[in-house]
Amino acid sequence: MWLPILGLLLGIGIGSTLAIPIPGIFAKYLSVALLAALDSVFGGLKSIIEDKFDGAVLLTGFFTNALLAALLAFLGDRLGVDLYMAAVFVFGVRIFQNLATIRREMLANWMQKRRLSAQGANKDG
Amino acid sequence: MDNIKKWRTPVLIVFLLLGILISVQFHAQQIFQSNLSLQSTDDLTLILKGLQDKRTNLEKESQDLEQQQQALNSDTTNSASLVNNLTEESNQLKIALGVIPVKGPGVTVTIPPGSSIVYLDLVDIVNELWASQAEAISINDQRVTTWTTIYWNKEKMTITVNGADVTFPCTIKAIGNPDTLMSGLQLLGGILDNLAVYKIYPTVQRSSELDLPGASPPVFHYLQTVPQ
Repeated sequence: MWLPILGLLLGIGIGSTLAIPIPGIFAKYLSVALLAALDSVFGGLKSIIEDKFDGAVLLTGFFTNALLAALLAFLGDRLGVDLYMAAVFVFGVRIFQNLATIRREMLANWMQKRRLSAQGANKDG
Repeated sequence: MDNIKKWRTPVLIVFLLLGILISVQFHAQQIFQSNLSLQSTDDLTLILKGLQDKRTNLEKESQDLEQQQQALNSDTTNSASLVNNLTEESNQLKIALGVIPVKGPGVTVTIPPGSSIVYLDLVDIVNELWASQAEAISINDQRVTTWTTIYWNKEKMTITVNGADVTFPCTIKAIGNPDTLMSGLQLLGGILDNLAVYKIYPTVQRSSELDLPGASPPVFHYLQTVPQ
């Protein structure tokens, strides 16, 4: 369980030490990409909890979602359509859905465990 | 959850990248917010309005301060001219009192030693000089003022002026029109004629420039002004 947290902290450390300069105009697209990446991460966590995890799906989803989101936002700006807003909306909604699912699954798992242990206690007694 | 080995590597990679992405975006956002040309029009309008308000306030403050400065300047000018006026007035009063040294044309009356002169003769000479429109008089460098005393000191057996002994030859200096003063002294039946009766022959000289000392200023203890 500590491995993802360690990875996250390591990533933040690398990012701040490198301090990659991003031109101001790209900050917006980077933010959309970040949102897409967050969505993929939460999706991955959900699949782990649901026991349907696939590493390839997570990795491809992570990269393609981030890239596509940034690209679409960029294209939208060129075309004068606020696809940026659409990306923010879609990924925002999905992140909350994923979070809700994770919460429900964890709650269900916890309840089941408790019921099982309670049954075991009853049998013993 | 059971198959940890299966998801460990991809998740680690994804979280690492996510961390990098977060910190990079964090930095970019900070730069973005400090860059005016990348701000939205709404934000710029707000900033502009804030700055305009600030500017208006500062302009008002500057105007206030300028007014204050002007007021202070005029105040200083006023007080400076007031000080000048007062100094001039004070000088005039000092001259009138005879407490500051003065100079000017006039006559010198010298009474030679061995003259059988009495203090009343000195008083007569001074009175005659005042009557001849003298503007300032001194006896042996004692200025004659409104509080001057001329009397015979019985203990010392000398004539005193302002409490100082009169030594001979005694010189009486008077500033004024030399001609008027001369004619006043040499009047027929006047002071010089009177003194000649007692065989006192003072010499009288015109001077174009006489230096008269100032008297020490009077000290008042009981005097009070009456409101006008």
